[in-house]
Amino acid sequence: MLCGLLTLPGLAQASLAAGLGVLAFADAIVAADTAQGVFPVDAEQHVVPLPDDWGPSHPAGAGPLWYRLRFDVATSPAASDVLGVYFERMCAGIDVHLNGHRLHATRPPGQPSSFECQRPLLISLPTALLRASGNELDLRVAGFKLQHVASSLRATRLPAPLIGPEAQLEQRHIRQTLLAETAPAAMTGVLVLAGLLALSIARARRRDVHLRYFALFALGWALLCARPLWQALAQTGVPVELGLAAAMPFLLLLAVQFLMHYAGWRSRPIEVALVAQCLAMPASLLLAGDQRIYIIASTWYALLLLQLLGAIAFYIGATWRVRRRDFAVMAGWLGLGAALAVLMLAAEERLLDPHWHLLPSLLAPLIVVGIGWHLIGHYGRALQAAEESRQALELRVREASADMEKNFAQLAEQRVEQVTQQERKRIAADLHDDLGAKLLTIVHTSESERISTLAREALEEMRLSVRGLTGKPVKLIDALGDWRAEVVGRLSQTGVEGEWSAPTEELPQTLSARAYVQTTRILREAVNNIIKHSGASRCTIRCVIDSGDFQLAIQDNGKGIPLELDGRLDRGHGMASMKHRAKQLHGQCLVESGPGYGTVIRLTLPLERHTTNV
Amino acid sequence: MKTILLLEDLPEIRAWLKTLVMQVFPDGQISEAARVHDALELVSAIKFDLALCDLGLPDGSGVAVVEKLRETQSECQSVVVTIHDDDEHLFPALQAGAFGYILKEQPRELITEQLTRMSQGEPPLSPSIARRVIAYFAAQSKPQQPDLMPHVSLTERESEVLLRVAKGFTLPEIGVQLGLSRHTIADYVKQIYRKLNVSSRAEAALEAQRLGLFRR
Repeated sequence: MLCGLLTLPGLAQASLAAGLGVLAFADAIVAADTAQGVFPVDAEQHVVPLPDDWGPSHPAGAGPLWYRLRFDVATSPAASDVLGVYFERMCAGIDVHLNGHRLHATRPPGQPSSFECQRPLLISLPTALLRASGNELDLRVAGFKLQHVASSLRATRLPAPLIGPEAQLEQRHIRQTLLAETAPAAMTGVLVLAGLLALSIARARRRDVHLRYFALFALGWALLCARPLWQALAQTGVPVELGLAAAMPFLLLLAVQFLMHYAGWRSRPIEVALVAQCLAMPASLLLAGDQRIYIIASTWYALLLLQLLGAIAFYIGATWRVRRRDFAVMAGWLGLGAALAVLMLAAEERLLDPHWHLLPSLLAPLIVVGIGWHLIGHYGRALQAAEESRQALELRVREASADMEKNFAQLAEQRVEQVTQQERKRIAADLHDDLGAKLLTIVHTSESERISTLAREALEEMRLSVRGLTGKPVKLIDALGDWRAEVVGRLSQTGVEGEWSAPTEELPQTLSARAYVQTTRILREAVNNIIKHSGASRCTIRCVIDSGDFQLAIQDNGKGIPLELDGRLDRGHGMASMKHRAKQLHGQCLVESGPGYGTVIRLTLPLERHTTNV
Repeated sequence: MKTILLLEDLPEIRAWLKTLVMQVFPDGQISEAARVHDALELVSAIKFDLALCDLGLPDGSGVAVVEKLRETQSECQSVVVTIHDDDEHLFPALQAGAFGYILKEQPRELITEQLTRMSQGEPPLSPSIARRVIAYFAAQSKPQQPDLMPHVSLTERESEVLLRVAKGFTLPEIGVQLGLSRHTIADYVKQIYRKLNVSSRAEAALEAQRLGLFRR
C-alpha cells in the first residue's frame, strides 16, 4: 500500500499521492550529454513536453540526451510498497539514475538501439533511495533520429514515463510485453510453419509456382518479423536500416508474383520491373545518403503499397471475371490484407499513433496464415479430386479389363465351339464319304439280301450318329413331323394301315440331338419289327406329352413276340437295344406282348432333361 | 428318247444306278460322268432331259452341275442323288434348281418309284426340307431392299401344303385333307421348288451385286 502522497510541484515535476495510483509525466527537463556519466547540471537545459519525438524537437544533434524528471513522494512509503518507473515503448538505449544512483543501463551502456522499439521497460525504484520530496529521475537516452532510420517506428521517441506502485505497473508491463513481443513472436513462428508447409508442397508440385512464391513470401516476412530474435547478432545503424528497407521490394516481388501466378497470369515486363525495383530501391537509398534514409524509404513504402494494392485489385478482378470458386474466400483475405497494409503505412507515416502499428503486425501474419490455409486446403481438395478421379479411372480400367476378359472368354468359348463344330463336320463328311460310300456299295452290290439290309441299316445308323454328332436341338413339333412322315410313309409302302396321333400345335419343348436320334432309332426299330415280323395289318402310334414326360405308344395287331423258354421276350427283335437306348435317355421302354395279342411298346422319356436350348 | 446325265464318282454305284435308270427309261441315252468337270463338259455338249447328280464328288459339288443345267438347259430335270438326307446338304441343291432328291441307300423298288414319280412331275418333299423352305420364304418376306428384290412369295395354298408336309403328312394325305387331287398337290410342290429356285437366284444376283461382282 502506498501511504505517501506524490505531488507534482511544478514544471518537470510530479508528485504521487496515496490512492491516486499511477502518475504520468507531462514534460521533462532535457540537456545534451557531456560524457560525464551524470546529468549535466551545468549544460544548457530546457523543458520539453512528453512524449518527446527526436525528429522535430532535436533537429540538430544526434548524440545522447539527458532528461530529468522530478517528483515527490508525500509520505514515506512502507517497505512493502515498492515504486517503479515504466516506459511503454523504449526504442532507444537508456540509462536510468535515481537521485544520482544508476538503476539501469542498456547493454552495451550508452549505445543507441533501435531494436527494442516495441518492448516496454519497467524499472523498480529502490525505497531506500527515495526521498519524500525532490526526487530526481535522470534518463540518458541514446537513439536514432528519424532521418537515420528507414521506419518512423524505429526513430527515438521518449514516451511519457509512468511512476507508481510496481505491482500495478507490472500488469501493464506484462500486457504490453504480451502484445508487443510474445504475440508477434508467436505469429512469426506460425508464419514460418505456414511458409515451410507451403514450401514442402511447392517442392512436390513444381507446376504450382504460386505456392513457391507464397512460401518464400511467408518465410521472408517471418525473417523480417523475427528481428527482435536476431537483434543480438546484428549491429544497429545505417547498414541494418538499409537492409531492412531493401527487403521490402523483395517481399513485394514475391507477393505480386504469387497473386499473378495464382490468378493464372504471367507478364514478363512486370517481372523484370519488379526485379529492377529490388535493385533500384537500395541504390536510391545509398545515393541519398545517411541523412535522407527515412524520406526516401517512406516514399518507396508508399509506392510499394500502391503496387500491392494494384496487384490485389488485379487478382480480384481477374478471378471475378472467371467466376473462380474460391473467389469469395481469397477476396476476403486479400481485402483484409489491403486494409492492414494501408493501416501499416498510415502508422509508419505517423498519421496514426504508433500503437496502431501493433494491430497490423499482429493481424497481417494471420492473413498470410489464412491464405496459406486456403491454399493448402485447395491443394488438399485437388489431391482428393485427383485421388477420386484416379479411383474412378482404376474402376473403369478394372471394369474394362473385366469386360475384356469376359469377351475374351466368350470369344475363346465361341472359338472352341467353332472348332468343335468344324471337327464334327469334318468327321461327318469323312463318315459320309468313306464309310457311307463303302456301305452304299455293299447295299447295292451284295448278292445277299441279308447283307444288303444290314449294310442299309448300318448306313442309317451312321447317318443318325452323324446327326447326333453335329446336331442342334430339335423342336419337339419338328421331330414329331419327321417321325410321322417316316413311319406313315413306311407303313403305307408296306401295306400296313397306320394311325398316327400326336399334338400338331406349336410346342415349346425341344429335344437334344441325341434324344432325337435315339428316339428315331427306337421308333424305326419298332416299325421294322412290325413290318418284318409281326404280320400285323394295323399299327397305331400315339404320342402324348404328359406332366413333363414324352410318351410314345406303338401298338400293332400282329402275332406278338414269341416267348423264350425262360418266359422272357425274344431278344432277337431288338428289344434289348430299344430298352438300352431308353435308359440312356433316363427314360424307359416297356414291351407288352403275347402270342396272338399283338405288341405294345411304351416309351417314356423325361422331357426336362432333353429340352435344353444348347 | 430321253437323254440322261449320270454323275456319280463310285463306279459300282454308278453301274447300279445305270441299270436302275435303264429300267425306268428303257430307251434312255445315258451319259456318265465321275467328276464335276467332266459333267460340265457334257452339259455344254449335249442337251439333257434328266440329270442325276451326286453331291460329294472328288473335284467339287454336284450343285455346280445343277446350277449350270438350270442356266443353260432350263427344260432339264435335275435330281440330286445323294447319301445325305439332311436339309443342310439338300437345301442348297434345291435352291440351285434341283427338282428333287433320291437317297442312294433306298431299296431299288423305292428309287425306281421315286424316279418314275419325278419324271411324271411329282417331286419328293421331306418335313425338314419343307421347314427350311418355310423359313426361307419367311425371311424373304421381311422388308429388306424391296425395290431391288424381285418379290417371289408363296401362295396361301402353297404355304398350306408346306406346313402340312412339315408336320409329317404325306402328299396323298394332304390331298385328302384339302380336297385336292394328288396331281394338284404335286403341282404345288413343283411350284414351290420353282419359286425357291427363282428367289434364290435373285438373292444370289443381289448378293453378287452387293459384293461388286457385276462391275461395269
